[in-house]
Amino acid sequence: MAKKKGCLGCSFPVAIVIGIILLTVGVISLLGGALGKELFSNISLPAWLSVPSPEPELPASVIFHLFGFPITNTIITSWITILFLLMVFYFGTRNMKLIPSRYQTIVESVIGYLLGFCEDIAGVKYGRKFFAIVATIFLFVITNAWISLIPGIGTITIHTIEGHAELFRGVNTDINFPLALALISFVFVEYWGIKTLGLGYFKKFINIRRFVASIKLLFRGQFKSAISGLFYGAMDIFIGLLEALSEIMRIISFTFRLFGNMTGGEILLLMMLFLAPFLLALPFYGLELFVGFIQALIFSGLTLVFANIAITPAHSEEEH
Amino acid sequence: MEGLGINLPSLIAQLFNFGLLLVLLYAFAYKPIIKMLDQRSARIRESMEQTEHIKRQAEQAEKETARLISEASKEGQKIVDQAVQIGEETKQKAKQDAKIEAERLITKAKLEIERERDDAIAELRSAFADLTILAAGKVIDRSLDKEQHRQLIDKVLEESKLLDVN
Repeated sequence: MAKKKGCLGCSFPVAIVIGIILLTVGVISLLGGALGKELFSNISLPAWLSVPSPEPELPASVIFHLFGFPITNTIITSWITILFLLMVFYFGTRNMKLIPSRYQTIVESVIGYLLGFCEDIAGVKYGRKFFAIVATIFLFVITNAWISLIPGIGTITIHTIEGHAELFRGVNTDINFPLALALISFVFVEYWGIKTLGLGYFKKFINIRRFVASIKLLFRGQFKSAISGLFYGAMDIFIGLLEALSEIMRIISFTFRLFGNMTGGEILLLMMLFLAPFLLALPFYGLELFVGFIQALIFSGLTLVFANIAITPAHSEEEH
Repeated sequence: MEGLGINLPSLIAQLFNFGLLLVLLYAFAYKPIIKMLDQRSARIRESMEQTEHIKRQAEQAEKETARLISEASKEGQKIVDQAVQIGEETKQKAKQDAKIEAERLITKAKLEIERERDDAIAELRSAFADLTILAAGKVIDRSLDKEQHRQLIDKVLEESKLLDVN
């Protein structure tokens, strides 16, 4: 086959025209954005090309009240996410066949990927037990992240009692959502741990056996071994407390990891669009797509790993 | 906390949303899809096992066929050998029979010939006697008593026969 002349699949003239258009857009974007305004203050562009300065705010805006319950823009967006996921899977599983259609293959491969992920880490038995929570976290986070990347979704505003507000806002950037996920993850990890190990689950947090044994030794007069036993016993108790604390701290690290990454990404995109409205922000959209996937994977993966740790019995005292 | 926007209603709403999504996805995605995936893998495993089974069966059948063919071939060889032997025997017997028959025919023919010859001799003898009597009558010109005459000739012939035999 003869090698095609041209550049990136276009013939040279077409490639040159496209290049010129891209260059023009890039220049206009630079001039129209905040950077251009600073550098060339004498150039005035039409008003529709200049971008207002972004005003990111952390709390979500209340759009309306439902039976006295405040409904924020992030709640509305999460409903859209739920609706979207529901539709995707409803149409994918409505008419399932052993020999799948293309669409069925797509939804099956998504679920199959997540199921494989769970089974790889936690084994088939527990992986399937953890699957529903882990997969829901993954799908919810990634869909939220990607929906908030739809260009222009933040520009739809609505009049509320408190003034203008965005109608839709990325759910991951409202701290209540990561916090809710973190709480769910925490509760289920503890629940699985207790359900699998029974009361033995708390052994790793309250570890006083060696301490108590050493006190007994002390009364028997075996001072030498009693003192070292007391020392190690105190250390065990301390480690147990640290375990318990780290369990609680996970909620916070879970929350702020997702919240920080997503809010940071959102602000980055706003800033890039402010500095140069066209073209230059594009790579950052690609980056944010990737970040959304990674954050979803991290949140669900960590939940899975913590659950797997929780169901593994602590080192028994008999080993010492 | 206020600056971050943490508030209880939103938190409760998001917990509720998560629960809702979990239930919906469980009903519409996880349950049917996992069931389908399991069903499919079970089906594939089944059909692979079946294939293996059929392959084994075919191999066995092939071996069996080969065995049968070789057996049949041996059997056939045996039958052919037998047939050849029987044919040989039959041939021998036929030959024997033919020989016997021929000998019988020859014997019969010999006997016939002998009988014919004896008849011819007897006839010749009688004719000869008549002729002799006639000739003798002519020679001695007297007619012998026919009865006497015949006796005489017979006597002579008897003597001559004895001579013949000797």
